[in-house]
Amino acid sequence: MDLVFWEIARASGLAAYAALCISVLSGLAPRTQALSFLANNRAVRALHDWTPWIIIPAALTHVGALLLDATARIGVLDVFVPFLTSYGQLAIGLGTISLDLLIVVLVTTWLRRRFSNNAWQWWHRVSYLGFVTMFLHSMLSGTDLTSPVIAALSWASAIGIGYYALERLGKALNPARIRA
Amino acid sequence: MNAKSPTLPPTPARTGPGRGIKRSGPVPPWGLKLGGFLATLGVFVGSFGYAGTHLYVTNAPLQPATVAEVAVTDTTSAATATATSSTANTTTTTLTPSVQTTTRAAVTVTKKS
Repeated sequence: MDLVFWEIARASGLAAYAALCISVLSGLAPRTQALSFLANNRAVRALHDWTPWIIIPAALTHVGALLLDATARIGVLDVFVPFLTSYGQLAIGLGTISLDLLIVVLVTTWLRRRFSNNAWQWWHRVSYLGFVTMFLHSMLSGTDLTSPVIAALSWASAIGIGYYALERLGKALNPARIRA
Repeated sequence: MNAKSPTLPPTPARTGPGRGIKRSGPVPPWGLKLGGFLATLGVFVGSFGYAGTHLYVTNAPLQPATVAEVAVTDTTSAATATATSSTANTTTTTLTPSVQTTTRAAVTVTKKS
């Protein structure tokens, strides 16, 4: 039975990574060429607003399975406070940080009306850092990323998001080029 | 357009990042949501199947103690088996309490006269 939790933890970790990729990509899409072949901005925005409903269950399943599983030996404190585990402190700690950042982004999004638009945007940009820490966490600790296929898919999605993030950054830094 | 209607002002040029990008994809919002859900579910199911067939990944970047113990046990038992088989050719095999009996059907048959 214990190994079932271990399998669920591994699978839900990859599912959470996939859900976060969809969320970040759909967040970048309205200001870049990403997903332009697929849908208009309104539909992509609707997808982005909806993605917490796939991220949260996947992340909770990952954390819950790790807590119940005896293989990983993760405690409740390790879920929220990074670098406390008895092994793989950096690799697991990055996952803890990404979870903390995910909570920050979700909570500030739900409290968006209490922030000014500028302040909320800065809070929302934390999600980029959350994605990077989650990617590093998956690379440094992901058991299944030893599979070439899974590793290639993970790298491809991360490179795609990195590309569109740079495109978004370039347009934000040089808006005159858009107006021209 | 009616000739008496006032002339509308020109539409201001839209500015800012992302303006001017043509997006004409046909997928509706519900289609994107369904696609996102199915993609995530597919990753979960596929990964679960993969994890089930690859329970102990000895070259994984992290080796929790339990997995490490299993890997060490496997290595030790393999080494013991090698050592036993290499010495069995030259020395007399002796039964020890570590040799277990089995309930399996015999593979060979001893001919009785």
